[in-house]
Amino acid sequence: MDENPYLHSRRALHLRFDIPILKTKEFWDMLRQGKLVTTKCLKCGNVSFPPQADCPKCMGSESEWVDLGTDATLVTFTHVKITPASFAEDGTYTIAIAQLKSGLKVLAWLEGVGAETVKPGMGLRIEARAGTGGSPYYVFVPA
Amino acid sequence: MSRVAVVGVGHSRFGRRTDVNLGELAFESIKQAVDDAGVDRGDIGNVVVGSAGGWYEESLPAVVVGEYAGLSGAGTMRVEAACASGSAAVKAAYNSIVSGETDVAMAVGVEKMTEVDTPTSVELIGRAGSYMWEFENYGMTFPAYYALYAVAHMNRFGTTEEDLSRVSVKAHHYGAMNPLAQFQKEITLEKALSSQVVSWPLKLYDACPLSDGSAAVVLAAEETAKKLTDTPIWIRGVGYSSDTANLSRRDDYVGLRAAVRAAANAYAMAKVSPGDIDVATAHDCFTIAELMAYEDLGFCKKGEAAKMIREGQTEVGGKIPVNLDGGLKAKGHPIGATGVSMAVEITKQLRGEAGRRQANIRNGVGLVHNIGGTGHYAYVTILSRG
Repeated sequence: MDENPYLHSRRALHLRFDIPILKTKEFWDMLRQGKLVTTKCLKCGNVSFPPQADCPKCMGSESEWVDLGTDATLVTFTHVKITPASFAEDGTYTIAIAQLKSGLKVLAWLEGVGAETVKPGMGLRIEARAGTGGSPYYVFVPA
Repeated sequence: MSRVAVVGVGHSRFGRRTDVNLGELAFESIKQAVDDAGVDRGDIGNVVVGSAGGWYEESLPAVVVGEYAGLSGAGTMRVEAACASGSAAVKAAYNSIVSGETDVAMAVGVEKMTEVDTPTSVELIGRAGSYMWEFENYGMTFPAYYALYAVAHMNRFGTTEEDLSRVSVKAHHYGAMNPLAQFQKEITLEKALSSQVVSWPLKLYDACPLSDGSAAVVLAAEETAKKLTDTPIWIRGVGYSSDTANLSRRDDYVGLRAAVRAAANAYAMAKVSPGDIDVATAHDCFTIAELMAYEDLGFCKKGEAAKMIREGQTEVGGKIPVNLDGGLKAKGHPIGATGVSMAVEITKQLRGEAGRRQANIRNGVGLVHNIGGTGHYAYVTILSRG
């Protein structure tokens, strides 16, 4: 079937996005310093993660930055073997969702633990990572 | 408010379709649906095209498809609800009749996913959530999304990897009876279980393929429907809901809240209960998704989906046969075409035209369960003979 004739388009399209982070700049600045913070609505007190300047609960647009907390419990996970093209150099990785003491949940990589020993309910801690090109991120590690 | 019926259906062969471009592929279904309905194309007031797009060369699929099939001039738009784009198209076409805007409308679902290389397709689907918080740093993939649910379901209810594989074996069993399916071969439980791990615990045989394909339905208002056909299949219930982009903002990972809400709305509108359903299609992009669908649709109690598949309750002759067309797993999953394809399948089942894979129709009621993303969008449609 693949011997069917086709026109191999000459007009290639490359997409790279410049994503505004002005309203969450504090999050990225603090993360670069190794600290995790998020937004708390000044009107209704709702704490969001991921952080967002505008409250999804009451639609208030004034918020303050509060500590996210670091201790978490593993809720669920997966070991990704077939990775996206843009992650080809990362090998396989484990993605986890864990719940913080505040009740908020976070999705991130789980590092520093053998695949066989990962179990829902295990204690984790969030740590900041510098990342390449000045783009920090955060991961879970065993508590 | 007029009742609305499916009066014509069309369906292309699903698979890697290097023999046709987007318009040509959609034409295959549109032609069949128009002929099946016996309708004049000039009477179709609204053509809604469900397509996620991004992996084929056209930016405006609705007008490209419309032009190729000689439908230019009708009202048209492309709708996107990820893998539920097809059901969203059916709903939009349905609404344009219920509102009195037009007597006849068409929903077309079409997708061409194989014009770009496979890694690019995988990358685009992996971004179907929250790009910034799930993809940029963590490389979520579509299998990974459902794997997070599979691990939670296995941990909570004792569902096993074998149970997941049983869904795949069933899909291939019925796919082998569907001449339009991408995969028409039976597989063994051992083959499914020993296939390559994609995102543990999900393996190659837990996952639907990348597909090209199209499907179309012609819908008509009651009086027109009765003039066009002796076997109108009525759209009795349309339920829909959504959930957060970020999975971290969900309460739990053992079912899809959006699907539960969509089902409740559809059952209430149609005034039927799960026990009335003769046959259903469930959105099995991954095997765990079909198991969660049994529970979310109320076909069994929470946590008992594995028991249903083990006991064969969703096969022909069971409590509620599910995915007798081979499902997304074996039939294929051309994203935007899938929801329309499901409506075509249930229409054929209720008309008694499903051949070797015909379900036993007692109440004349069928259900379409179509999910976009990982329960980001959910559409449940209930169809009936009467």
